[in-house]
Amino acid sequence: MPKVVTQQVEFEGHFFEQTVVIEGDDITPWGPEKEFSVVGQPHTRIDGSERVTGGAKFTHDIHLPGMLYGKFLRSPHPHAQIKKISTSRAEKLPGVRAIFTYENSPEIPWRMGLTKLFDKRIRYAGEEVACVIADDESICLDALDLIEVEYEKLPSVVDAELALENNAPKLHEAGNLVTGKPETYARGDVEKGFKEADVVVEGTFRTQVALHNCMETHGSAAVWEGDNLKIWDSTQHIFGVRDMVATALGLPKHKVRVIKQYMGGGFGSKNGAGKYTILAALAAKKTGRPVKILLDRREENLLAGNRPSTLQIVKIGATRDGKLTAIYHKCIANEGAYAAWVAGSTGPSTRMYACPNVKAENFGVFTNLGPVAAFRAPGYVEGTFALEAMMDEVAAKLGIDPLELRLRNYAEVDPTSGKSFTTKGLRKAYEIGSEMIGWERRSQIKKQNSTATKKIGFGMGSQIWGGSGGPPAYSVVKINNDGTAVVLTGTQEIGTGAKTAMAQIAAEVLAFPIESISVELGDTQIGLYSPLSAGSMTLASVGPAVRGAAEDAKKQLLDVGSQVLNIPIEDLVIENGDFLNKKSGERTPVKKIYEKLQNYMIVGRGARGPNPADKVVNTFGAQFAQVEVDIETGKVTLQKIVAVHESGRVINPLATRSQLEGGIIQGLGFALCEQRFVDPHLGLVLNASLETYKIPTMMDIPAIEAEMVNMPDPDVNNLGVKGIGEPPIIPTPAAIANAVADALGKRIYELPLSADRVLNTLYPSSQNERSS
Amino acid sequence: MKNFEYVSAPNLASAITQLQGSNSKALAGGTDLLTEMKERIKTPDRLVNLKSIHEMQGVRDDKDKLWIGALTTLSEIESHRFIAERYPILAQAAYLTASHQLRNAGTLGGNLCQSVRCWYYRHPDLTCWLKGGETCYAQEGINRHHAILGNAPCIAVQPSDLAPALIALDAVVRLKGDEVDGDLSLDEFFVLPDEGLRQRTVLGKSDLVVGVSIPKPAASSRGIYLKSMEREDWSFALVSVAVQLNFAGSKVGTARIVLGGVAGKPWRAKSAEAVIQGKVLNDSLAEEAGAAAVAGASPFEHNGYKVVLAKNLVKRALLELNK
Ligand SMILES: Cc1cc2nc3c(=O)[nH]c(=O)nc-3n(C[C@H](O)[C@H](O)[C@H](O)COP(=O)(O)OP(=O)(O)OC[C@H]3O[C@@H](n4cnc5c(N)ncnc54)[C@H](O)[C@@H]3O)c2cc1C
Repeated sequence: MPKVVTQQVEFEGHFFEQTVVIEGDDITPWGPEKEFSVVGQPHTRIDGSERVTGGAKFTHDIHLPGMLYGKFLRSPHPHAQIKKISTSRAEKLPGVRAIFTYENSPEIPWRMGLTKLFDKRIRYAGEEVACVIADDESICLDALDLIEVEYEKLPSVVDAELALENNAPKLHEAGNLVTGKPETYARGDVEKGFKEADVVVEGTFRTQVALHNCMETHGSAAVWEGDNLKIWDSTQHIFGVRDMVATALGLPKHKVRVIKQYMGGGFGSKNGAGKYTILAALAAKKTGRPVKILLDRREENLLAGNRPSTLQIVKIGATRDGKLTAIYHKCIANEGAYAAWVAGSTGPSTRMYACPNVKAENFGVFTNLGPVAAFRAPGYVEGTFALEAMMDEVAAKLGIDPLELRLRNYAEVDPTSGKSFTTKGLRKAYEIGSEMIGWERRSQIKKQNSTATKKIGFGMGSQIWGGSGGPPAYSVVKINNDGTAVVLTGTQEIGTGAKTAMAQIAAEVLAFPIESISVELGDTQIGLYSPLSAGSMTLASVGPAVRGAAEDAKKQLLDVGSQVLNIPIEDLVIENGDFLNKKSGERTPVKKIYEKLQNYMIVGRGARGPNPADKVVNTFGAQFAQVEVDIETGKVTLQKIVAVHESGRVINPLATRSQLEGGIIQGLGFALCEQRFVDPHLGLVLNASLETYKIPTMMDIPAIEAEMVNMPDPDVNNLGVKGIGEPPIIPTPAAIANAVADALGKRIYELPLSADRVLNTLYPSSQNERSS
Repeated sequence: MKNFEYVSAPNLASAITQLQGSNSKALAGGTDLLTEMKERIKTPDRLVNLKSIHEMQGVRDDKDKLWIGALTTLSEIESHRFIAERYPILAQAAYLTASHQLRNAGTLGGNLCQSVRCWYYRHPDLTCWLKGGETCYAQEGINRHHAILGNAPCIAVQPSDLAPALIALDAVVRLKGDEVDGDLSLDEFFVLPDEGLRQRTVLGKSDLVVGVSIPKPAASSRGIYLKSMEREDWSFALVSVAVQLNFAGSKVGTARIVLGGVAGKPWRAKSAEAVIQGKVLNDSLAEEAGAAAVAGASPFEHNGYKVVLAKNLVKRALLELNK
């Protein structure tokens, strides 16, 4: 029965109260003792062959007859006012079908009303000025050259600290502070805590802007069928795109259908519609033809989102025996031109350790740069790097082993609420991980393998994150008259393997072979509402609804089967797609009963139940890194990384391992080589290409030893699963940076740990010599 | 990309004639030129395909020297038996260049004639000094990849990995065209740009590189190519060093030390060569040579690290060869 309740909901480290309708809490959770045949087994992707044979259709693959293409004219200036725009020359170019500018486009509020679809005020280089629709992209590009724009250049600011100064150029009327105020947190009394401390350490950290660089760039294709709008969008949130487009164009939601079957990565940057989506829809309307607009790599890297750079101050006090007495963490994040939320990094400092006195302040700053977007565990990657560095410094000052210091401050309950955790496998993760890396033997390994020029070091980092998922999320399971079953949901597969996990869940419940299960998703018109695939919440939200639907379908199947076969329902089970009479041992294929039932169809219905009200759901993990630093070339080589995470029950160990590896690889890129560069005077991004923005290559990836603490969570949902998409990136940079500090005997407070930083740290006199 | 005319040249002479057209560019593998065209940094009206020119193809062993045609791909150089055996530093340099895919398409001639990678030059919204503008933005900007040696109005570095290796091997380049014609030491082929000539090679508009020839090394000759990058693969050099030494017993006979990534052209470190000539290599001598190689360096705000890096790489290369 549906129940209306108000719930505390967490999304990417932020907490909200929400009124939700709760269903599906009548299903007994799968406890730790439950035995499985499909769940928990490694399973290759059910859509793997489509993916590797090119059959899978991504948004980029959508080609419709008569399709037109679009490209944006983008501002070359970081801050400007458009005085005049003339498109007449461009319009005359053969093949050009439409040109949109602020003069002929609807005034659609954008980015929470901070700007418009086409704003005369330009707030970053790369911002949209006009959009050309033409027969192909190369005509679009030629046409862009013919559009004449008169800009009045305005003074710009790209540095967050400078943007906070009184006389800084203002991006928005209300000033350069995002939401007008810092986001703060406090418990206990930090001043008192620092007074009680025997040692106090303090550090100032800087982290860089990282770019998502999804393999598939952002883009949409749109076509009108009568007054129905159909959109293919490379998105993590089909329902979100639907709602944004409907609102922007003033359409009823059901007139907008959003489809996304396959996607080449999102990492948080594809949580809603883009201007390309709206323009594709507007242009399709205007021309009466399908229109596709895709970003190219450069556009992707200028404006499709980023992990904001941070300046962080972390101060920690501890007693002689290693008990934390106070943590102060301040963060200034450079959020670019538009943001609706303060992108802070202090979350780990408030939630990781059992420290009575904590104060955190987050300042989000507007600057003349492409806007921020959530990026795999936003804030936590940066914050964990700073926090865990300071933990190591406390450990060093006190002569306590870094791991031991963490154990002495282990939070048995959630330090922010005092509530207990549903499950917390961090102690186990520390134990297994330290064993795997040889933590106890590390001084010996260092001694044996370091040379005069190459120094070995070890470091670790801990991880806390959300990942509970939650309602609302729905699913239907249909059993076809050929004995196959279809799982229908409205979620989207963003490349994580959620589809396979849902098939495993349905196969487990129905006791059907997994080959007989298909999963339909990624379509707002036929799917059932499911949340966005972000915040590590897809499987933990939708998976339980799938189980509910499968249980419902199975109940009906047994009921009908018992009547058709004339076997008491107590004696009937399903096994490997057959009815099995427990008494007689007789088997009947499921499809057999349908022969007598015309086109009878079973439809099971499921919904995600509530999250526990009296407990806190978090995911945990620990990583340990071994690095080699070449002190002559400044090169850091990650030799080995061990990752052990706890995220409830593991549905598919193979897919989970992929998530761990992917997170670690992205994390090592952040630690060692990825960095967006901006010219401070010109306000221009200098490395918007894959050649200049350095993502790790296969050759940069070391041996990754990854394991899960399989710890079914009895309270989070009926599967016992929590999310694992974001957690693995969180502690990687911290572990690597601590290992580098260990190798050098000197800490570098900035990321990435590129050769120039290492050399400048080792040879300080080489810095800042200037030529005449 | 702007529309352009495409012609295939049957032979050298015809290519040179075709290149005299108003705004023509020679096309080899296209791995550099096409990216510049896509970014609208170069907008030629006509591309003259060189791939059909027989005279520019092939690797030939001519008794006392090795001839490598300009159209030879980097992959061929990397895996050619003669080259691996006799000129390992060239094979190493080729192997460390770009990525597999790029090496399959990119050619020797294109590699020597490629444009600089400076991100101000490559920025579609900027007209820097090298592109005919007034300002070298890198000098006051983010210059972490830029030159520490050789004062020039443009501080972009010469990006080629093959060039330092070939110069260390004393290679001679064969040129054919209107303005330059004949053989030239590869060292002299590269120039620092100046007001009069905003380019990095001696080539005129319709001049072509036909190939390079490398003298056969002495039996006692040993070489090494070291390259420091921002990641393990598919990256231009932060700094690289090519060293080729002829030994006379335990002593260094003649030495050639060439640095990449430090100047607007491959940087022959003659003073470093002088430090070791006629001496037995050891730690302190290698250190001294490293210091000599970067003496006179004048780094900018973000590239001071290159001084240390270049010095250490020279030292490391010498010690490796002394093993
Ligand atoms: C992502 C990336 C990474 C790279 N990394 C490296 C690296 O690490 N190290 C490195 O050394 N290089 C690197 N390169 C450069 C690469 O090696 C060159 O692009 C390639 O060698 C050029 O050869 P091509 O035949 O494709 O030249 P093209 O693109 O065809 O031509 C390049 C230029 O040379 C001219 N040209 C070509 N042939 C001749 C000739 N015979 N005579 C006169 N002019 C000629 C053309 O007109 C053009 O101006 C990289 C390139 C890319 C795109």
